[in-house]
Amino acid sequence: MTVTGQEIADYVDRVRAALADLPPAVRDELTEDLPEHLAEVAAEAGGTLVDRLGEPETYAAELRAAAGAETGDRPTSLDRRLTAVRARVGTQLRTLDAQLGPLLGYASVSEFLRPLRPAWWLVRGWLAALLVSVVLGEPSGLLPRLDGSVLAGLFLLAGAVLASVWLGRRSAGLGGWPRRLLRLGTAALLLFSFAALVNVDQHASSDEFAPYEGVSLRKAYDSVQDVFVYDEQGRLVRNARLFDQNGVPIRLGWPTCVDGTGVVPPPSNVYPYCPEQAPFAPPAPATASPAPSVSTSPTTAAPTGSATAVPGPTVSSGPTAPTPAPTR
Amino acid sequence: MDTTQLLKGVLDLAVLAVLSEEDGYGYDILRRLREAGLEEVGDASVYGTLRRLFAAGLLTTYVVPSESGPHRKYYALNAAGRDQLARSGKTWRSFASTMNALLDDRGMAA
Repeated sequence: MTVTGQEIADYVDRVRAALADLPPAVRDELTEDLPEHLAEVAAEAGGTLVDRLGEPETYAAELRAAAGAETGDRPTSLDRRLTAVRARVGTQLRTLDAQLGPLLGYASVSEFLRPLRPAWWLVRGWLAALLVSVVLGEPSGLLPRLDGSVLAGLFLLAGAVLASVWLGRRSAGLGGWPRRLLRLGTAALLLFSFAALVNVDQHASSDEFAPYEGVSLRKAYDSVQDVFVYDEQGRLVRNARLFDQNGVPIRLGWPTCVDGTGVVPPPSNVYPYCPEQAPFAPPAPATASPAPSVSTSPTTAAPTGSATAVPGPTVSSGPTAPTPAPTR
Repeated sequence: MDTTQLLKGVLDLAVLAVLSEEDGYGYDILRRLREAGLEEVGDASVYGTLRRLFAAGLLTTYVVPSESGPHRKYYALNAAGRDQLARSGKTWRSFASTMNALLDDRGMAA
């Protein structure tokens, strides 16, 4: 006998490799007897196996045809390699499936996941409703909306969930392109939902009501210690509150004086902290007394002056104001 | 005309017919087919056909130990296989006679 067992084993391996695109069960079924068969062939006549039977790949092609295991069109070598890779990945996934199962207390991960499928159907319906809502230009959130109406959105949600469950109960029987379409849709939905959830998460974590945040131009006012607001007539405004365009309180400076009880008050957004440190005028109550005297002296001049610069009734506060109106 | 194309269609029938006279192992069946005149039949075709017929439930197998060489796996027809042989045989005969008549009518030499 000139053919060794090793030669037979090599030949069988190459035949099996050439049949890698077949389902594993079919391939095993086809080749389980091949070593014995080749041993019989080898025992009958001289020469190597390749001399007598041709290249293993040719043999595999003939075997495939004769056994009726042809996979439609003659696959290209790329196709064959792809299917081989897919088969290998599939085998590894199955191994992983079985290995990780005990961690969950099940024989395999898929056994753990199978009862959860209806839950996935519900989630899928919800995601589909969200997608419809977003595609129609509604603001993204966790509830679908239609025309800004939450009620219509809830109807949409219910419809989508029912459709998803119906599809889930029927999808087991699907094959061919409907199945592929379903998988494609699922992938798209998952991609969308990831984007949507990231969006919602950003909205949730950026707290728009956080106080004392995002005060504009804070750096430019680092040297500001207190803020004094004067009204049109130059009177100091007490307990003024400052806000920016977003309604966010503006906080500047810090209290440097003691209040009535002898302690430094905590910073707040009520200005000024220390009215007695006002740079331009004595505190507001003192300005009230001299007012009448001014209004009496230039009785005729007052109307003309007020017409050009200041409204009439405000003349009484003349002495403290930096405006030139009373002097004319 | 390429006989390998024709063989594809009738190899089942040929293998069943060969096995109906006597059980056989793979290489033995191939040799008997070649002796019967089907010289272009390949080993892989016979082996593949045997696997398929076996999977279809038309054949049974048994192993015969051999002292000099490797063990041999013998194939035998079962009842389903004999049924199949009878039906396929009839189909082939009617098909062949149709083809013969078709060619005869047009004066083709045999």
